[in-house]
Amino acid sequence: MLTGIHSERPSRIDIPQLLAVLCLMVLSVAFVYSATRLNEIGVTSFYHQTFFKQFIWFILGLGAAAAVCMVDYHIICRWSFVAYWLCILILIVVLIPGIGKTHGWGARRWIDLPGFQFQPSEFAKLAFILAQANYLSRPVDELRQRSIFWSAIGLLLLPFLLIMKEPDLGSALVLVPTGLIMLTVAGTPPRYMLQLVGIGAILGGLLVTDLLYAPPKYRIKMKEYQVKRLLVYFGRNYVSYSAPGGDAAEQRRLKEEQLKDEYNVKQAMIAVGSGGMWGEGWRQGQQNALGYVPKAGKHNDFIFCVIAEELGFFGSVVVLALYSVILFTGIRIAGQARDRLGKLLAVGVVTLLFSHIFINIGMNIRIMPVTGVPLPLLSYGGSSVLGSLIAIGLLQNIYMYRKAY
Amino acid sequence: MLIFDQLKKDDPHLRFLAIVVLAGILILLTGLWWVQLVSTKYFQKSLENQSTRSVRIPAIRGKILDRNGIPLADNRPFFSVDLFLEDLSGKYQSAFNSAASRLKTNINLQIAAKEKLLGRKLKPQERKQLAVSEQGLALLHQQTRYDATTALLASLGEKLSQPISLTQTNFEKWYEKSRVLPLPVLINLNQTQIARFEEQSGTVPGVDLDVTSLRYYPNGAMAAHVLGFLERDNQSDDVQSRHFSYPLTDYKGVTGVEGLFDDALHGTAGAKSVVVNNQGFRHSETIETPPSPGENVVLTIDFNIQKAAEAAMRTHLGVNAHSAVVVMDPRNGDILTMASQPAYDPNFFVQPMDPAAREAQWELLQDTNRRPQLNRAMHENYHPGSIFKIVVGLAALEQGLDPNAKFHSLGNYPMKGLREPIGDTAGPGDFDFDRALAKSSNPYFITQGLKEGVLPRILELGHRLHFGEKTGLFPRAEARGNFPTLAAVSKRDWYPVETAYLSIGQGRIDVTPLQIAVMISAVANGGDVYFPRLVSAIVPDGETEPSETFPSARLRDKLGVSERSLRIVREAMLADVQRPAPEGTGHAAAVPDFPIAGKTGTAEVENRNGKKDRSLKDTWFVSFAPYDSPRYAVVVMVEGGASGGLSCAPVAHDIYLAIQKHEQNLKPGSKAGTLATVQ
Repeated sequence: MLTGIHSERPSRIDIPQLLAVLCLMVLSVAFVYSATRLNEIGVTSFYHQTFFKQFIWFILGLGAAAAVCMVDYHIICRWSFVAYWLCILILIVVLIPGIGKTHGWGARRWIDLPGFQFQPSEFAKLAFILAQANYLSRPVDELRQRSIFWSAIGLLLLPFLLIMKEPDLGSALVLVPTGLIMLTVAGTPPRYMLQLVGIGAILGGLLVTDLLYAPPKYRIKMKEYQVKRLLVYFGRNYVSYSAPGGDAAEQRRLKEEQLKDEYNVKQAMIAVGSGGMWGEGWRQGQQNALGYVPKAGKHNDFIFCVIAEELGFFGSVVVLALYSVILFTGIRIAGQARDRLGKLLAVGVVTLLFSHIFINIGMNIRIMPVTGVPLPLLSYGGSSVLGSLIAIGLLQNIYMYRKAY
Repeated sequence: MLIFDQLKKDDPHLRFLAIVVLAGILILLTGLWWVQLVSTKYFQKSLENQSTRSVRIPAIRGKILDRNGIPLADNRPFFSVDLFLEDLSGKYQSAFNSAASRLKTNINLQIAAKEKLLGRKLKPQERKQLAVSEQGLALLHQQTRYDATTALLASLGEKLSQPISLTQTNFEKWYEKSRVLPLPVLINLNQTQIARFEEQSGTVPGVDLDVTSLRYYPNGAMAAHVLGFLERDNQSDDVQSRHFSYPLTDYKGVTGVEGLFDDALHGTAGAKSVVVNNQGFRHSETIETPPSPGENVVLTIDFNIQKAAEAAMRTHLGVNAHSAVVVMDPRNGDILTMASQPAYDPNFFVQPMDPAAREAQWELLQDTNRRPQLNRAMHENYHPGSIFKIVVGLAALEQGLDPNAKFHSLGNYPMKGLREPIGDTAGPGDFDFDRALAKSSNPYFITQGLKEGVLPRILELGHRLHFGEKTGLFPRAEARGNFPTLAAVSKRDWYPVETAYLSIGQGRIDVTPLQIAVMISAVANGGDVYFPRLVSAIVPDGETEPSETFPSARLRDKLGVSERSLRIVREAMLADVQRPAPEGTGHAAAVPDFPIAGKTGTAEVENRNGKKDRSLKDTWFVSFAPYDSPRYAVVVMVEGGASGGLSCAPVAHDIYLAIQKHEQNLKPGSKAGTLATVQ
C-alpha cells in the first residue's frame, strides 16, 4: 500500500484514508437521496433536499478538517481543556428546557442555532479525546498513581453522565470503550484496568439482571423507553415482565406495544436480510420505499439498512472494507506518531469511530440494542458529519507531523 | 499490508487495538453474512409477505334447475369498466410534477413581489411561511391524481356517451386501501354500451372491460319462495378461514333453496396473490387456487306447471290476493309446483337498480299487510274447513257408516250449549254420503263426528297424515299447524261442541296447503303418506352424474283405511266436480276429457279479537286427477276468498288445463312424430 514512510518523497497526507473517506461520502449522499427521495420530490428545490444538505455538510466538514490540519496537534491540545470545559458547560446548558431542544424525540439533545441544529454531544466526544490524550500523555510512571488514574476516570465520567442525562444512551456508551482503550494504550497498569473492567462488568450485569428478572418492586427505576429497548434486545416478553394481575385489556395493550417496539428492529432486519448477495438496486429497495423502515430514522441512524437492502451483502462488504481502511490506517498513524500525545489521540479517534460503527451496524442485525448512534460519514446529520471529519482531520494532522517528517 | 504492518511492530498496545478492531469487523461481517446470505430466504419471504396482497375470487354460483333442466336461478355476465391504477401511476406523477412546478413558480413570483414591496431580501423565516408544508404536498398529490382520473373518465364518458361520476372521497378511499385492485367506474353495462366501449376504448389507457358473474332469476318472481334470495356477504368466512387482504364481494343464500343448499351452490372461492411494487401499485398477479364453481341443484318443480299456476292465480285473483298453490305428484310426493302470492322478485337483492325503483320495491317488501316474503304454501296456518270432511268421512266409513243411508238435515245443527245453531250452506233436505260430501253438509258430518268411536278414528287418521307436524322441507320456514292429540280430547275441557267444530274443519285445527297436498295425495294413491320432496339431486357443474340424490317416494306413513272407504270418498269427490252446480260445488274446476275429483272448503276465521269475521275466510279447493290413475294433486288456497268453489276452483281449472296440454306435448307419440319430421 501507499505508505509514505517507505517512499522516496513522503506524502504529506495519508492518501488511502482520504480516498476511503471520499468513497463513504459519495455513498452517503447517494443513499441519503435514496432514503428520502420519496418524501421530498416535487416542490422542494434540490438545494432544500436532505441529500444536498448532506453534501454541503461534507464540504463544510472537509473545510473544518483542512483547518484542523493547518495547526500542529500539539498546539490544538494546549487548548484541549478549554474545549473540554466549554463542552461540559454546553452539555449542562442543553439540559435546561428552553435552550435545549427535543425536536419531538423526547430527549433534550439539540441547541438551535440560526440555520441548523447543533448537537453538542458529538463535539463533546472529540473534546473528551483531546483532553484525555493530553492528560494521559504524561510519563508512564505517573500513571501508576491511583490519583492520576481516578482523575482520568473522572474525566470520562463527567461527559458520560451529562450525556446520559439528556438522555442519549448510545452517545454516552461510546465514550466508555474510547476512554478505556486510551487508558490501556497510555500504559495504565493492567491490574487497574482489570479491576475497573471487573467492577464495571459486575455492576452492569447486576443492573441488567435486576431490570429484566427481578420482581417489579425490587427494580431500579429507569426511563420506560430504555427498559423497553433492553427488553426487546433480550427478547423478553412485556406481558410476563409487567406486574402480575393485569387484566386482559392491559395484557393486550402490552402485547401491542411490544409488537410496535419490536417493529423497527424487525423491519430493519428484513431490509438487511432481503438484500441478498447483490441487493435490489439503488432506489429499488422495497422496505425502504414502502415505508417499513422507520421514516424518521432511515436517512440517519438506519441508513445502513437502506444500503444493505439496495446493494446487498456486496454493499455491506464494501462499507466494512472502507471503514477497515480508515481504522487500520488510523492504527498505523498511531504507530507512526511522533510522541505519546499523537498516539493517544489517534487511538482515541480510532476507537471512537470503531465504537460507532460496531454499535450502529450491530443494531441493524440485532447483535446490539437499538440506541441512537449515527454511522460516521454515512448517516445524515451536520453535527455527526462535522465531528467525524474533524476526527479524520486530527488523524491526518498526526500523520503530517509524524516521526519521519 | 496495513494490518500486518501493525502486528509486526513491537507495540503490544496497538496490536491489541488492531486485534479488537479486526475482531469487531469480523463479527459484523459474519453477522451480515448470516443475515444477508444464509438466512436471506427467510427475510425475502418476510418481505414478500409484506409486499403481496391476497385477493379472494368468489366462485360462480351453481344453478337451480327445474325437473327438466330449465334454469330457475341462473347467472348472467355482469360487465363493468375498470380503471387499472398502476397504468395511471405515471400520469399521476407527471400531473403532480407539473402542478408542483406551477406552484413553485407561483411561490417564487410571490416572493419576488414581496421583496419588491419591502425593498429587501426576505429572511429565511419569511420564505418558509410562503413554502408548502408536508400536508400541503400530500393534498397536492391527492388533488392532482383525482383530477387526472376524472379527466380520463370524462374523456371516456364522452366516447361512451355516458357520463361517469366518481367522488373524490370514494376515489381516495380506494386509492388508499385497494390501490392494487382495478377500480370499477361504470357497472352493469348493457349491450350497446359494451359495443361502444369495444369500439372506443383502445384510445383510452388504463381502462378495461371486466366481466364477472351475477345471480340472475330469468323468470323474475316466479317460484320466488321456493328459490329464496341472496344477501351480500362481506364476511367471507370460508372453511379454510383464510385471511384475505381483499375478500371481494360475495353473496350467500338466506332463504329457500338458495339458503338451504348454500354450501353446494356456493362453490369454493379461489385465491390470487398480487405482488405490489414499491409504490403500492399492482406489479403482477398469480392465481394460487382457481375458484371451483358451485354445484347445480335440481328441483322436482315443473317449470310449465309452476308458470301456469302463477298465471292462473294472477288471472283469477290478481297479484295482491293472499293465496297459495301446491301441485304434488300423488305417486311419490314430488312437489311439482309451489306458489305463493303476493311474491317478490329475488333479482332485487342482487341486481343493480336505479335508486328510486329500489326504494319503491323496498316499500313493497316491507308492507306488513302483504308480507310478500311469507311462503303461504307452507309457512302459515289455516283452518281447513270443509276439506277436512274427507278425513271425517273416511273415519265414519271405517266405523261402519252406510254411505247410502239417508240423513235428514234441518239446514243447521242446533248444538247443546250454543246460543245459535251451527250454520250450514247446503240447505235442508235428505243427504246420503255422496250428496253430503259434494254439497258439504255440515249437519251430516257433525252428526257423524259425534258418533261413538269416530273421534278417535279422526285423530288416528290425522296423526297418520302428520297434521300438526313439520314436513321438514324448509326447517326454518315451515308452520307445523295444529291438531289435537288423543290426550287433549280426553281431557275434561274438551266439550262435544269442539268435536262438532273439528268435524267440519273448524276450531282447534290448523293446516298448511302443503300438508293438505300430502293428505289428498294419500287419498288419491290408496293410502300412502309420503314425505314431500322438492330437491331431487345435486349435480356438479358440467356433469350429468349427480353427486348427491334425494330418493323419491319416501313413505312416511300408511293411512290404514280400506280401499272401499277410499273409493266411496273419491267417488263423492269426483261427483263434486263433475256435477254442475249447485249439486257440485267444485264444478268450476272441471276440464273436458280430464276427470278431476275435488272438494271445496270455506273456513271461517276468527279476527284478532277472537270474533268470527265474514270477510276473513280461508277458502280451499283440493283435488286430484286424472281420476283413474291420479298423477296430480292440486291444492289452491285463497285467504279472504268468496268460497272454495268461486275463488279457488277456477284457478285449479286453469292449472289442469295447462297440465292436460303439457301432457299432450310430452306424449311419446307426438315426440316420435316430431323426430320423424326432423329426420
